[in-house]
Amino acid sequence: MSQKTHTDVDETVTGREQPGNLARDDLDSGIEISPRDLVDRIYRFLISKRTGLTLILAMGLLTLVGTLLEQAPDRVRDDPQAYASWLDSVRPKYGGWTNPLNMAGMFEVFSSVWFKSVTILLAVSILACTIHRTPQLWKRAMHPRIHVAEAFFSHAGLRAKVTLPLPPEQAIEQVRAALNGRRFRTITDPRGPGLNLYSDRFRYTPFGTVLAHLGFVVILGAVLISATTGFKNTQFPVTVGTRADVGYGTGLTVEARSFSDTYHADGRPKDYVSELVLYRGDRELASQEVRVNSPLRWEGVTFYQSYFGVSAVMQVKDSSGKNIFDAGVPLSFTSDDGQNAIGQFTMPDQNLMVYVVSAASGQVDPTIRAGQVRLEIFRMDSEQAIGAEVLSPGQPTTIGDLTYTFERERQFTGLIVSRDPGALWVWVGSSLMMLGLCLVLFFRHRRIWVRVRSTDEGSEVLLASTERRDSGFELWFRQFVADVGALAEKPGGHHEKVGAKDA
Amino acid sequence: MLEFSQYCLIASSILVALAMVSYVVVLAMRRTVRQPALAHAGARGSGSTETPEGVRGVGATAKPTGLVWYGSRLTVLALLFLTAALVARTVATGHGPFSNQYEFAVSFAWGMLAAYIYFEWKYQVRMLALVVLPITEAILLYSETADAAASPLVPALQNNLLLTLHVVTAVVAYGAAAVACAAGVLYLIQPEGGRRGLPKPALLDEIGYRAVVVSFPMMTIMIILGAIWADIAWGTYWSWDPKETASLVTWLIYGAYLHARVVRGWRGRRSAWLLMLGFAAVLFTYFGNLFFGGMHAYA
Repeated sequence: MSQKTHTDVDETVTGREQPGNLARDDLDSGIEISPRDLVDRIYRFLISKRTGLTLILAMGLLTLVGTLLEQAPDRVRDDPQAYASWLDSVRPKYGGWTNPLNMAGMFEVFSSVWFKSVTILLAVSILACTIHRTPQLWKRAMHPRIHVAEAFFSHAGLRAKVTLPLPPEQAIEQVRAALNGRRFRTITDPRGPGLNLYSDRFRYTPFGTVLAHLGFVVILGAVLISATTGFKNTQFPVTVGTRADVGYGTGLTVEARSFSDTYHADGRPKDYVSELVLYRGDRELASQEVRVNSPLRWEGVTFYQSYFGVSAVMQVKDSSGKNIFDAGVPLSFTSDDGQNAIGQFTMPDQNLMVYVVSAASGQVDPTIRAGQVRLEIFRMDSEQAIGAEVLSPGQPTTIGDLTYTFERERQFTGLIVSRDPGALWVWVGSSLMMLGLCLVLFFRHRRIWVRVRSTDEGSEVLLASTERRDSGFELWFRQFVADVGALAEKPGGHHEKVGAKDA
Repeated sequence: MLEFSQYCLIASSILVALAMVSYVVVLAMRRTVRQPALAHAGARGSGSTETPEGVRGVGATAKPTGLVWYGSRLTVLALLFLTAALVARTVATGHGPFSNQYEFAVSFAWGMLAAYIYFEWKYQVRMLALVVLPITEAILLYSETADAAASPLVPALQNNLLLTLHVVTAVVAYGAAAVACAAGVLYLIQPEGGRRGLPKPALLDEIGYRAVVVSFPMMTIMIILGAIWADIAWGTYWSWDPKETASLVTWLIYGAYLHARVVRGWRGRRSAWLLMLGFAAVLFTYFGNLFFGGMHAYA
């Protein structure tokens, strides 16, 4: 990241002046921008680091707004009526700002056109930058600039001069051996003056930026995949002792054999466990105890423990005595006053919708005694109730043409069922990003240029590097310089190490 | 054991306060006493070596003396007591000290002290303490007010490996972020060219960068681990929960900082501002759930 790049954009406008052509207006002069110019300008805009930085900050800002302002819940967004009433519920909080904020999409920031635009622009900018940068990185790694001017040795961020009582040829080979011994590769620069050497280490690690940025784009893509493919059902209650179809074309059925919720002495929850069995048709595919941190996975479909509650097990028979409904009805909803737990089921063939109402846990409803439920039956196409009756367990009651029996209350386990093909790509992108980040941040490309000249005492070794803001390397460099200074003390018998890695 | 943990915490708060006082006194006296020149790594061997100006201060080996020495030792002692407090609590509760605001406050303070001591050791810049220690002290005092009752883990947190890794990475990331912020603050309070007594701007700039080099990857791992965990526990790797969102903002700010360093005109003061903004976002992420609900409501 620290390396200077050449992506700063020259913002010169390319539309040309048309001197002496007064008939033309501004629009005409605009036409003078050729498509190639335009593409060029867009490209330069995209690869600008400034653009990238602005987009990152813009994304941060929008995300912050999304944290600070209340966001409309998922289920409300698709229903204009529900959305309108949700908006009314936050109106007291935001007052006169409610409508402008709503128009700007700030109550659904993460699905707003702003957030999408910034995300897409950022992804495109990252891609453009990466594509633009890769050849430069390649060139720097494979064909580094090995020759430097004399001034470099007197101006570089890191530089040192060592005098050795050795002839230049011997001195440079000693330095080369010392660098090779520290796993630097060395390349001889045949151009003068003096004897010259280019040396570097970790030359491939700058490609980590490519990996990290690609990783980020992959994650953005994965989020798109998650949002558009697969499915997610956050409300999938299964009454204990019954089976429920998963749907979404999976052909899967889930049976809940048991559910238990246990608590610590202070009332805090300890564990929620469902014993689930997964079927396709009558074939048992899998069975598992599903807990909050151990979902059941099968062919990309995952079942999570999410919530739980009480079901009313109902049976409905028609006049001929045939069972037309026999299942647990989860009492998942609570009435506005908190007095009642409510469940609901439909019988489309009969055009009927049935509400099952019981006293909510800990509440006393004088009309529904403990252990009883009240049925409220409606036609699906009308608001008019066709009957309401309180049922005691096990007692068949006829309402309209049908006979209803409330068998008993049983627990249900609430599951989340999802298939998310995007998740895999999130992990791929994350791994790429981590790998790239570590390469870039922890293994920086180190470059050292060496020049050796003959002097009266022997030779003068000049060492220089462009690294400035890196104390770790600076300490290393100084130690290295000190070691090079000490070379003259050692017996000169290690010449055989020389030149092993000359490219 | 829990009581012992509390005593260690109190001891640590007192030690941090004392260290703070030592540094403040040193700073007050520094205006009159000239700072000795920093020692330089000398040349060795028969060949002579020269290192040019411009690299001074880095890795200086000046030994702390007097009150500075006490300040430095007190900080280390405070870290030891804080470590003891955390270990005792872990033993008593049977899980890492990360499950509520109290426990994470203590861990957060631990992370800041540890990061500070590491950077002090590496760069010998003790001035950073003037910013890091007050923040640490504030968090420690806050922890004294938070509910310290040990409570069993709610089902979502019953994943010891992921809980530990997710929070340990957060502690390291946030601790280093505090040091980066301190470097940013010191950078901003001095006039152009630096002032005697304060570290050189270039050195502060580097410390800030180095701290982010520790913080940013840790933050990235923390978010990724959190996403993996959310996918296991809640069935979705990302749900724009306030704490998730705030951590993304924080991550983006540090990402912007790293990119800003390669854009001309964004170095120096502006990137120092980003370091402060980043740490403000860290604090917002941490304290956020005092104001917002969401799935991180427990901590």
